Amino acid sequence: MSSHREAPEIAKDPVADSTDVYAFISPADPDKVVLIANFIPLQKPDGGPNFYEFGDDVLYEIHVSNKGTSTSDISYQFEFETQIRNKKTFLYNTGPIESLSSPSWNRPQSYTVTRTKGRRVTTLGRALPCPPVNVGVRSTPDYAALADEAVRDLGGGTRVFCGQRADAFHVDLGSIFDLGALRPFNEAHVISMPEMNGVNAVQSYNVHTIALEVPITDLSVDGSAPSDVLSPRSTIGVWATASRRATRVYDYKQKGYVGMGPWRQVSRLGNPLFNEVIVPMARKDMWNQRPPRRDRIFQRHVYNPELAQLLPALYPGVFPNLEAYDEKRADLHAILMTGIPEGVVEGFANYTGPVPSDMLRLNLAVPPSAEENPIGLVAGDPAGFPNGRRIGDDVVAIELRAVAGATIPLVDPSYTPDAAAGALTDGTSNTNAELLSEFPYLGLPGSGYLTEPGTTEASA
Amino acid sequence: MSEPTRRSLIGAGAGAVGAAALLTGSAAAAARPTSGSAQERVVAYVSDHRSDELVLSVGDREVVVHDRDLVVRILNAAGGN
Repeated sequence: MSSHREAPEIAKDPVADSTDVYAFISPADPDKVVLIANFIPLQKPDGGPNFYEFGDDVLYEIHVSNKGTSTSDISYQFEFETQIRNKKTFLYNTGPIESLSSPSWNRPQSYTVTRTKGRRVTTLGRALPCPPVNVGVRSTPDYAALADEAVRDLGGGTRVFCGQRADAFHVDLGSIFDLGALRPFNEAHVISMPEMNGVNAVQSYNVHTIALEVPITDLSVDGSAPSDVLSPRSTIGVWATASRRATRVYDYKQKGYVGMGPWRQVSRLGNPLFNEVIVPMARKDMWNQRPPRRDRIFQRHVYNPELAQLLPALYPGVFPNLEAYDEKRADLHAILMTGIPEGVVEGFANYTGPVPSDMLRLNLAVPPSAEENPIGLVAGDPAGFPNGRRIGDDVVAIELRAVAGATIPLVDPSYTPDAAAGALTDGTSNTNAELLSEFPYLGLPGSGYLTEPGTTEASA
Repeated sequence: MSEPTRRSLIGAGAGAVGAAALLTGSAAAAARPTSGSAQERVVAYVSDHRSDELVLSVGDREVVVHDRDLVVRILNAAGGN
């Protein structure tokens, strides 16, 4: 998946596991940027009575680099605190939750947002409420109203939301990790099967979302609203992290874990799927510990991605040009590690300097598209991935096509992509809740009461 | 951990000098491991800074030491002194 359970260690620590990062110019207010970081993957909505929540012992952060050095020039920190209102009940709620202050809600969570820029640390908000999870029609009868109540204005044109949402990412996990199969191309696979539509493995699952809407002028390097797409000062790099205390002790007297020491990064995410499909398994945990500016050691996996070697073997005869191509993948390096420099895509650039680093790069001078193309930049829509990432961008298809060679001609005009490269898809689309037209954009989370069991058949 | 063993571990120094030495190379040179000293990772945990209790986690064992002097030395070292 984008980054759901993408590395061995963090897969065992879902509360700190980042799943997706989005960065785009707000379509509702083009003077603002929307930054979204999702955590806690694959939440089955009926997973009570101890439903999903942010970790009180985790530091969640969204980082912005705006000086062309791939360092965190601005960061937003989120720290959570959970209460138990009624210590005598085992229930998450003892009646309908009709507002965030409802005494029926037994386990409210709140948070503090802090902004750090250089040495300046500013607390933007304290005791900000999360909504409850979407328990069901009896417990959370008007979930949309509860979620709306949790969207908070932090002043200065900034808004925030932290809480459960429907996962908008879509991918056919069951097929892709079954020997790299794409169901719409099943017949061409080395172990051939009848073709079929993709199955969205994330359907019905929720995540926990941290969403910010921030004025562009708060994030640009000089405090302006950039208008020159080709200026190197117009592009920012974005990534999210989660950190835990260096030491954690199970304190028997305290009846729980106690954390001490400095925060240590245990999860990060910039470009979707980078750690998932580019970094070898033996290095994935290390990748999660490092800042983007130290990504040079991962360059070779971008220049020579394993998946590009596997595709011709998994789909015999389908990718002859890719199989024969023995140059470094400068196209992928530009897309994932430096941004696209001027002169590669006419009238566009999102280059952030020579430091190879995995960041989501957003050119602040590119306005939102009137009509989004989910294939983004490579389909002629410069407001889409890999220029930032909108929620509707089909990043699985985009990256599959890029790895298969569709973007090589950007840097090597002599190369002709294989016919299949530009058509690759896992055949999925977002089958969860509809996206909202306004902040925080992600759809409302699936309801526990409405959850139905899955369809796994071990024998098939 | 017995008191004599602890004293041999941290040396004869006392007060802030001894506490600093506990975590420095000079202390490493002065202290000598006994035959029973741990040969693996050790975590020292002071749950209550007002108490004399120090909990050491080593391997699959937990050693509880009651030694206010040692606790204070650790607190001083944690405070950068």
